[in-house]
Formats: sequence, C-alpha cells, structure tokens
Amino acid sequence: MTMSLEVGGLMKTFGGREVLRGIDVRLSPGEIFSIVGPSGAGKTTFLRCVGFLTTPDCGSVRYDGAAAPADPTALLNLRRRIGMVAQNPFLFRGTVAFNVSYGLCVRDVEGPALKEGTAKGLESVGLQGLAEAKASGVSAGEAQRVAFARAIVVRPDLLLLDEFTANLDPTNVNILEAAVREYNRQTGATIVLVTHNMFQAKRLAHRVALLLDGRIVEVGPVKEFFESPQDPRTLAFVRGEFAY
Amino acid sequence: MHFTVVRKYIAVIVVAAVVTLAIVAVLSLPRSYILMATTTSTRDTGLLPYLLPQFTADTGIDVRYTAVGTGQALDAGRRGDVDVVMVHAPSLEAAFMASSDGLCRNMIMYNRFVIVGPANDPAGTGNATSAANAFLRIYQNRSQFESRADNSGTYNKELELWTAAGQNVSTFGGWYEKTSQGMGATLTIANNREYAPGKPGAYTLSDDGTWYALESNLRFLRLLYHTGEAVLRNQYSVIPVNPATHPGVLSGKAVEFAKWLVGSRGQSFIGNFTVNGHAIFTPDFVPGDPQECR
Amino acid sequence: MAGDIAGITLLSLLISGTSTLVATLIAVPLGTFLGLREIGSARLLRTILFTLYGLPPVLAGLLVYLLLSRPGPLGFLGLIYTPLGMVFAQTLVVTPIILGITTSVVASVERRVKETAFVLGADARQLQVTVIKEAAAGVLTAVMVGFGRAISEVGAVYIVGGAIPGKTQVLTTTIITDIQQAQNEHAVALGVILLVLGGLVYYLLYRLQEKTLP
Repeated sequence: MTMSLEVGGLMKTFGGREVLRGIDVRLSPGEIFSIVGPSGAGKTTFLRCVGFLTTPDCGSVRYDGAAAPADPTALLNLRRRIGMVAQNPFLFRGTVAFNVSYGLCVRDVEGPALKEGTAKGLESVGLQGLAEAKASGVSAGEAQRVAFARAIVVRPDLLLLDEFTANLDPTNVNILEAAVREYNRQTGATIVLVTHNMFQAKRLAHRVALLLDGRIVEVGPVKEFFESPQDPRTLAFVRGEFAY
Repeated sequence: MHFTVVRKYIAVIVVAAVVTLAIVAVLSLPRSYILMATTTSTRDTGLLPYLLPQFTADTGIDVRYTAVGTGQALDAGRRGDVDVVMVHAPSLEAAFMASSDGLCRNMIMYNRFVIVGPANDPAGTGNATSAANAFLRIYQNRSQFESRADNSGTYNKELELWTAAGQNVSTFGGWYEKTSQGMGATLTIANNREYAPGKPGAYTLSDDGTWYALESNLRFLRLLYHTGEAVLRNQYSVIPVNPATHPGVLSGKAVEFAKWLVGSRGQSFIGNFTVNGHAIFTPDFVPGDPQECR
Repeated sequence: MAGDIAGITLLSLLISGTSTLVATLIAVPLGTFLGLREIGSARLLRTILFTLYGLPPVLAGLLVYLLLSRPGPLGFLGLIYTPLGMVFAQTLVVTPIILGITTSVVASVERRVKETAFVLGADARQLQVTVIKEAAAGVLTAVMVGFGRAISEVGAVYIVGGAIPGKTQVLTTTIITDIQQAQNEHAVALGVILLVLGGLVYYLLYRLQEKTLP
C-alpha cells in the first residue's frame, strides 16, 4: 500500500538558527523522491518533521490529503504506516532476528506469521544466515541492512531514508539499493530518500529536489534535474562545485 | 513476542510478591499470643525462656515479649501496643496505674541490686556499712563509675542511692560516665574501662540476675557489695494493660498470665530458677493488695 | 541454638525479599515513567525523590512506628511488632532507592532507543517496556542495591518489629540483642551468615546481569 505526502510552508528554528525556511513539496503515491543538498541544509530535520520525531514551528504536512489526526489511536495508526531508517542506526540488545521482528511484535503479530515475516525481511537484505547472531556483534554494513529489514518488514506505506548508505562499502550499498528498488516495486510505497550522494539519487529516484539553506531550490524528474537543471545553483551542485 | 516475554517476567514478580506477602501476613495476623513489654534487664537474666513455656504448657496461651528500656516498656503499655508489662520500677508503675493505663498489678518477685567493680575494689565498697555508704565511698574515691542513665529501674535506684549518699550527680566529673545502654552492655563497658591507667574495671550498679548470667564474660569485674537490705531490692511487677482505655488488648489472657505468676506453680518456678547455680529471684507475692489482679 | 539461627535467617530473607519485591513493583514502572519524561514537573518530582533516596532506615522506622502504633492512624490494623509491619517499613526504605536508580538509568538510556522504538510504531506502553529492557542491567542493579539495603538495615526492623524472639527477630536485630546480652559468639555467627547471604544474592544477580549485558 502507499501514501501521498504534501508539505506546505514547513518551518523550523533550532536555537536561533532557521533550519527550515518554508518547504513546499508534493509527493505522489509510489514515487521514489530524493532530496539532495549539502550537510546542514535541513534534510534530516525535514524527515524528522514528517516522521513525528520533531514538531515543526509552522507549516502543514498532509498524509493522503489529511493532516495528522488528534485522536491518539488514529495518530498511532498513521505513525505505523510510516517507516524510517537513519544513518548509523541503533540496534536493540538481542539477536538480529529480534531486531528485525521488533515492528511486528509491536503490532501484536505472533507465531508463524511473525517467523515468516522476519525470515522474509532478512532475505530481502541477504542476511538469512545471521538471524541468531547478536546484534551487537555485526559489522556496520550488516547493521544498516538489519535496520532496513527492520523498517520494511512492517510494510510501511511511506518510507523515510536518511543517508542510509553513507559510510558503507559498495557491496552493501548495492544490496541496500536493490532492496529499496525491490520494496518499491513490490508494494508501491512512497519513498523519500535523503542523500548527499548524487549518483545514488540518479540510480534510485524518480524525482529529485535540491534543499539549500532551508529551502527547496528546484524539483524535477531525475533526468532533467541532472542533465538540464533550471537553477544555476542546481547546476553548480550537480557539478560538485559546492563546498560541504 | 518480546512484549509477552516481558509480561511473563512481570507476572512472575507479581506472583512472587503476592505469595511472599501472603506468607508474611499469615505470620502477622491474627494475634492469639499475649504480647508483653518487659525490660532488657529482665531479658538478660534468662528467666523468660525458662518461665514462659511453663505457663504455655499449663494454659495453652503463648506469650511473646519485646525487651526494651523501662520507659519504653511502660510507653508501649500506655499506647496499647502490648497486652501486659513486666517491669521493676515501683514509682513509675504507680504513675502507670494512676493514669488508668494499668488494669491491675501483681507484685511477683524481687532480685537484688548489687555493686560490682574492679577486683581490687579501690574505693573499698566491700567494707561499706550500707549501700548508700558504698556509693559515698565511690564518690570520695572518684572511682570510674558507669551509669545506665536511661529511664530504667536500675538507673532510678542508682540515683536514689546517690541521693542517700548526699550527692548530686550533676556535680560529678569525668569519672562518672553515662552509657545509655541496657544492663548487659553497661557491664561490658564497665569491664572494658579503667579505674586507673593500665588497671581495668569500673564500678556500676547491676541487678544480680544479669551479673550472674554474664559473670564469666566480665573478667575484670567482681561482685563487691551485696546485702539483703531493703533499699537494694529490685521489685518486679506484672501489669495487664487496661482494656477500658485500650480496646484491642487481649485482657482476659493477660490477666490469666498475671494470676498464674502469683499462683503456687508460677511462684515455685520463679523460686527454682537459677543462673549459673544462683537462685536470683525471690518470689514475694502476698495476697491482699487492692491493686491485685482478680 | 542452630534451630533458631535457621528461623532467624529465613525470616530475614522473607522480610527483606518481600519488601524488595513490592518496592520493585512500585518503583520500576514509576521510575521508567519519570525517566522518560525529560522536562518540567518531572524534574521537580525527581529532586524530591532523590532526597528520599537518602532516607535513613531508622527514620523510616520511626515514621512507620508512629503510623502503626495503636494510637496512630493505621494502628487499628494491629501491625505493630509484626513481620508485616516490618515489611511495610522496609518497603518504605527500599522503594526510593530502586526508584532513584531506575529513573537515572532510564533517563540516560540513549535517546535513540526511544526514537527507534517510536518510529517502528511503539505506543507509550511498548516504549516503556522496550526502554526497561534496554536498561535492564541498570534496573537489576537498582533491585540488587535495594535488597542489599533491606537485608542489612537494622533501624527500621528493630523499631517496628520489637526484636521479639521467635516472632520478629531477624539477623541484624539479633546481632544487636546478642551484643546487648554479651553473647558475642552468637552475634559473630549471625554476622557471617549475613555476609554469606548478601554475597550469595549479589553473586546470583551479578550472573543474571552478565547475561543481560550486550
């Protein structure tokens, strides 16, 4: 299943610094939407606002055309349709399988359904053999894959990825990118991919946006964004002329 | 899945808590035994583990006791936390009866106060002409003296003797030490103090029961002055707490206890009790006292 | 003599064990709740609780004595000089300890645990459980410390229990009354048992703690 996302006029200030200065963006259901830009531009803050980890100062976020409900149960159900994978994810104490199954446990999935879901999740990132390994003992690449499996095993309609392959070696990057593509193909979920890796954006996204100084500078289909950007800043970014 | 595991842990803890609380509750309620407040001196004589089971065998009533200072024992009676008090402080007992906290009072036995001190007897109490005179000699010699200085019968007797010797304890110097402890502990302290540099032992007023019970542990002390004079009698009484002012006390059983102690069996057991071969208690019940328990 | 030592030891374990269990049931959920709230009134509450953390057992004993004594507000329960009264007093001593340590441990659990559980869809209760599980080693420590304090304290159980032979005598109070009666060998024997018991319990919980550490 999938979700549409509409963000209007999103603003957030942290300790005097304006991180988001009015973000407007609309995502169609099922698209892979990448947000690129230099560090500190506000990309993570944007994701945290959409994912209910941070409250924006003003602006609106509409999920499937509606604002977040006030009723706690409805809000919980909405939250459970959204998944997020951060950079350097936190793994719970226990086994890899436990981590992957966490979201299912939270949703009261038990018994064979739980086992099956967990196994499928591990397979999707190629970690079937690591099910009983201790989460604290896996490598960084494996940890990221575990975190990804953990997020998608509950089939979120909206998946938020925050630099989720940064600092990984090419093999793991490939595995994870393939998993993203496959997930989008299988479920048609909407995916927001925040990255500073242009090539990844090129490989995965349908549309790309440039976030600069708290504002969206340009949005466009991936081909146009990279080959014939409208804004000179986009051109400069694509050429790698931005100092980080 | 892991939430159910956690739920299981919580369930185990809850069950364990409930079970242990239940066991503790069963041990605590309801109360069929009589609860007695008595003094540490009484406990230290060892009389109670000998005497109380005899009463239980005769009547089927269980008696438990808490041993505290005389003041606290009477206070426990005043609060109604115990059913009966057994103390040896006649003036304080009189006040207890006057305030209607006591239902009736049976005088059951007496032992004696004795003066113990260093084997050398530097103050010469062994030659004293009376108890008051012995205290005077201690004062004149400024010998190290341990005072219990609590609200106990022994302490009150000690003050009485200082007064009889014409002295005022507030004028006493460093040789007079207040221990604020029970009799056994005070004797131990006396054993460890020195009356002169390098010479162990200090004087103190004790009851003979505690003395004979602990004598073998008190190497540097000796029994120096012990006579039958009236002022040295340590009179014990048993006072059931008044149910009129303290509903909830097991008054019937407490009175039965008080009467048994002055009956022929109780009195003969008291007389037969020995500490290291010494019969320290003299049963002295005499019928006819208006406050006697009937 | 040996018979009474067994009884005294069992009563010590029963009273301190029960108090610790009850205190755990109160303090761990409450401590988790307080530890998760990072701001505002929770901080004031935490300050008050940390002060109670240092409540001397003898003071707890005095308080409970005044409560449970016949003239007191709970006197009608008839719990003075009973094991249940002693459990009441020790629970009062142990709860702030477990509460204080649990609150600290939970508050310091990485913010990321809470956020990770949150984005994976945990509701408030599930969040609490997850946080406790992550903080399990610390919570176990809290319980260990609480039990240690209970089994070794003497002020509260002495005042509220009255050291009644065969009824409310525990290891610590018997050591006191032994010394009062100059029965020092008996006191030393009990002291050794106290040491061994404390050591045993700490060792068992240490092993449990090891299993839960990452």
